[in-house]
Amino acid sequence: MRFLYSFLNWLIFLFCAPFFEGVMRRITARVQSRKGPPLLQPYYDILKLLGKESMNSTGHRIFNAAPMIAFASISAVAVLAPLGSRPGALASHADIITLIYLLTLGGVSVLLGALASRNTFAVIGASREMVTMIMVEPVLAMTLILGAVKAKSLMPVGAAFGAKTAGFGISSALMLVVYLLALQAFAGRQPFDIPEAEVELLEGPYIEYSGPGYALFRCYIMMKRMFYAGLFIAAFVPVIRGLPYVLGLMAHLAGILVVFVIISLVGATNPRLRIDQAVKYYAVLILAALCAVGLAAKGF
Amino acid sequence: MWLTSKIKQILMVLKPGVVTLKYPFEPRPAPENFRGAPHWDHTKCVGCAGCANHCPARTILVRDLCQDIRILFYDGSRCTYCGRCADLCPEKAIVMTERFELATGDREDITENLELFMLTCQRCGRCYDMEINNAIDKLDLKGYRYDSLKARMVVRKTSDRMDAELLDETENYQRPGK
Amino acid sequence: MRVTDIGEMAIRNVKDLSEILKAAFPAAIKGTESPASNRLYVDVAAGAVKDVSLKLVSLGGRFQISVGYDDIGRRNALGYIQTFAFDGAGFIAALRTEVPVASPELDSVAADIPGADWPEREAADLLGLKFKGHPKPKRLVLADDWPEGIHPLRKDVPYNLIPPAAEDVAYRLDEAPPGTTVVPVGPFHASLHEPEHFAVYVDGETIKGCDYRGFMVHRGIEKLCQTQVTYNEVPFIAERICGICGSVHAAAYAQAVEEAGGMTVSRRAAYIRTIMLEIERLHSHLLWIGLAGHMIGFDTVFMQAWRVRERIMWLSERITGNRKTYGMIIIGGVRRDITPEIGDEVLGVLSEVEAEVRILMKSVIGDTAVHRRTKGVGYLSKEDAVRWCLVGPTARARGIRMDVRKDHPYAAYGEMEFDVPVADSCDVWGTVVVRFLEIFESIRILRQALSKMPDDGPLQTAAGAPLAPLKHGLFCVEAPRGEVIHYVITGEENRPERWRVRAPTYPNLQAVPSMLMNNQFADFPIIVGSIDPCYSCTDRVAVIEIGAKNKYILDRNKLEEISRRRKT
Repeated sequence: MRFLYSFLNWLIFLFCAPFFEGVMRRITARVQSRKGPPLLQPYYDILKLLGKESMNSTGHRIFNAAPMIAFASISAVAVLAPLGSRPGALASHADIITLIYLLTLGGVSVLLGALASRNTFAVIGASREMVTMIMVEPVLAMTLILGAVKAKSLMPVGAAFGAKTAGFGISSALMLVVYLLALQAFAGRQPFDIPEAEVELLEGPYIEYSGPGYALFRCYIMMKRMFYAGLFIAAFVPVIRGLPYVLGLMAHLAGILVVFVIISLVGATNPRLRIDQAVKYYAVLILAALCAVGLAAKGF
Repeated sequence: MWLTSKIKQILMVLKPGVVTLKYPFEPRPAPENFRGAPHWDHTKCVGCAGCANHCPARTILVRDLCQDIRILFYDGSRCTYCGRCADLCPEKAIVMTERFELATGDREDITENLELFMLTCQRCGRCYDMEINNAIDKLDLKGYRYDSLKARMVVRKTSDRMDAELLDETENYQRPGK
Repeated sequence: MRVTDIGEMAIRNVKDLSEILKAAFPAAIKGTESPASNRLYVDVAAGAVKDVSLKLVSLGGRFQISVGYDDIGRRNALGYIQTFAFDGAGFIAALRTEVPVASPELDSVAADIPGADWPEREAADLLGLKFKGHPKPKRLVLADDWPEGIHPLRKDVPYNLIPPAAEDVAYRLDEAPPGTTVVPVGPFHASLHEPEHFAVYVDGETIKGCDYRGFMVHRGIEKLCQTQVTYNEVPFIAERICGICGSVHAAAYAQAVEEAGGMTVSRRAAYIRTIMLEIERLHSHLLWIGLAGHMIGFDTVFMQAWRVRERIMWLSERITGNRKTYGMIIIGGVRRDITPEIGDEVLGVLSEVEAEVRILMKSVIGDTAVHRRTKGVGYLSKEDAVRWCLVGPTARARGIRMDVRKDHPYAAYGEMEFDVPVADSCDVWGTVVVRFLEIFESIRILRQALSKMPDDGPLQTAAGAPLAPLKHGLFCVEAPRGEVIHYVITGEENRPERWRVRAPTYPNLQAVPSMLMNNQFADFPIIVGSIDPCYSCTDRVAVIEIGAKNKYILDRNKLEEISRRRKT
């Protein structure tokens, strides 16, 4: 029975993530006085991509394997991620270190895929992606560690909800602000969509991909965004816990929708920053996140 | 400052709203005085070929088929819709219509072919024949062009009078270079 | 009366300059001609061209363009003309010389006047002139596989020649500085709207150098108009040189021919021309604001600016019959009238556009994120800008107060009151500010023009007699991107003998590699975008080369597609 919930977790992530992307594109279009694509457009895009030919211009097998690794890693994250009020079956088999590892694995697979081709744009995009990962993943790690410190356990459910069981406190409030400020970077939208800047780099790390490989990468990106939005709601919005399963799920999804609206509005009203400017911004966020964890360790 | 300008940017959008038009699912006619595809009224055209003389794209071709018949051929493939033909027509036979939806797979949709029965001279009983070099030709037909209708080739050289050699050259034109 | 006092002596007018030159170079100056108070044509011996040019620059002249022409039939020589503008005193001096076709050599001035680099390379490609001492004598305009020895602008080369391709040639890019990789931006790239090739040498993310290879959208317009069409058909072709600033080319050409032929235009026609030019400026600046937003990743500014621009396109459609190719200007006047009803409509649209642009400006200028992407980016000092002979808002952002509408007034601008916005920041931010302010100045000029337009007057003034051949005329017009100059030599057979178009992007592009140095690669699109490049204006010379049967299949198809002269 518990396995069913895990599988359900994964299905919900897989099928809802494109919808949220569609919402994001619609809101961006409305801010730009346009009508925008249909809400189901990302589904059509994925289906179309699956039907195309996958070209491997590099000759390496890693080029074909990279999207699969990325998709596998984010699926594993989806299974472990807290959704609704019930933990998944595998939640007791993995802790937050595993979560962080899996997310980083996804990022590394993007880098592998980009560096396997010798395309200059892909290499520049990969280097930017690397820098972004190095600077942004610590903030995520701090959020989870904060929860762990509060709940005195490393289990993902505990960590995620730990903030609420142990009481909100200054540390959680600080972490909430830090997470919000880093949300655009997690989601990879303006002002931080630097690795795949269309105007400068023509899609950056994903430039050589087509067909099913690219479809897998897009699923990876969409599910990653949904995970980050979901983590925000799970960690900082106390309503979810305590509701019956279906209602909790609905509430969680509604919360994710609100977060996506915020992501799109902020994304639509900001230009893209340069990588050196973004790095300075991330450094400040890391420091603030460290402070939050320190405060939590002291008991605040 | 940053936050207020962001909020202003969002508010800036609320007033105009969504401006996407539903064209082509809803028609959107051109305003009047729009310079769309030209249209010749064959009942008014006198065959002076002023339009052919002045078309910058050289897309109006004229040919005397025989003594009485002059062909005026508008090959719309190179037309830039500048409207000079309509400006110059002394009989106001050319109208720049409002048609702009001209994409087609069939060339005939954008051509207009007028076969004009020309008037004969009261004294000699023949039509004004541009194949003969006469004083009237020299006066009026400045920059007159002569093209091979079959090959629809671009005019190569304009001249200020009708020239049998030029006609010959045009008919036997080979693209230079190879 | 304004005075230029850079240099040794103050030059107040044409007479001053011609006296100084005659005193300095008594043997070399063969004659001077001043058909109007704002034009001076100086005939110089070929050997002294470099010295006289440098003297003119030291006296405060700004190099504009050089024109080569084929005079082989008449004098067995190739003619060469260089024009210099004296903005402070309000006149233009043209140095004319010729070299025998058997040994067409001249001294290059490009080492001292960097802005002359491209014009000389172009003359070398297209006419076969040779410039001794040119710092970078590479091909500029002709394709790399164009065979040697065929110079398209010479009269013996037909306008639609397709020569057999040369074998095994490729453009040799400049040497990359050590430690850098080459990022090929172009010929296809998302940030460029037209094909051109920037080979950017980056070290990590910092740009250390750049080589440019352009002129891939040649259409052979100058050659075409010198051999195939008549005087009054050229404005329609000139208008299609550019998709955004068409009217300025038609206006400059028409006014150059009118000057060469001694024709006058009625005041009413001059006002109507002014109105159309200013409407075009509004349209172009709004387009640029949208593009600049897109380049820094700010698509909302892009969409909103283009939404406002759409109002102006609809207005143009109602006035002229077309959204962009207005087709209003011909030699001797204009084709359609601006009636009082149309004038009221224009005023209505202007108020709406002004209100919207104010909102747009407040939200963009106050946005610190935009500041971070544009301030300090693309720095080029004022001295460098003067050396490269920059024009337009790119120069005005560097503190150079120049505007053809004020310095060499034409059409109805002499009677308009307006300011020329100048910024001091020497970077991309300066260009943003200058262009926004210019929108408001344009609206001001339009309102004045509509109210001051004379009520009657013919729309077109006929020439009276056929234009005398071999008369020189030149004219500058302020396009939205800078100064456009057209040089016309009237000819026989009712068409120009030589027509030279120099668009503002031509000098501005030459300075782009300097602007790019030591900036981040991410700033590449916005720096190139800040000059508001209009490659179709820049590449418009020489014969159409429809690719060649060589190994670059892609190039051939692409060139075939973009070539306009398709035979059936």
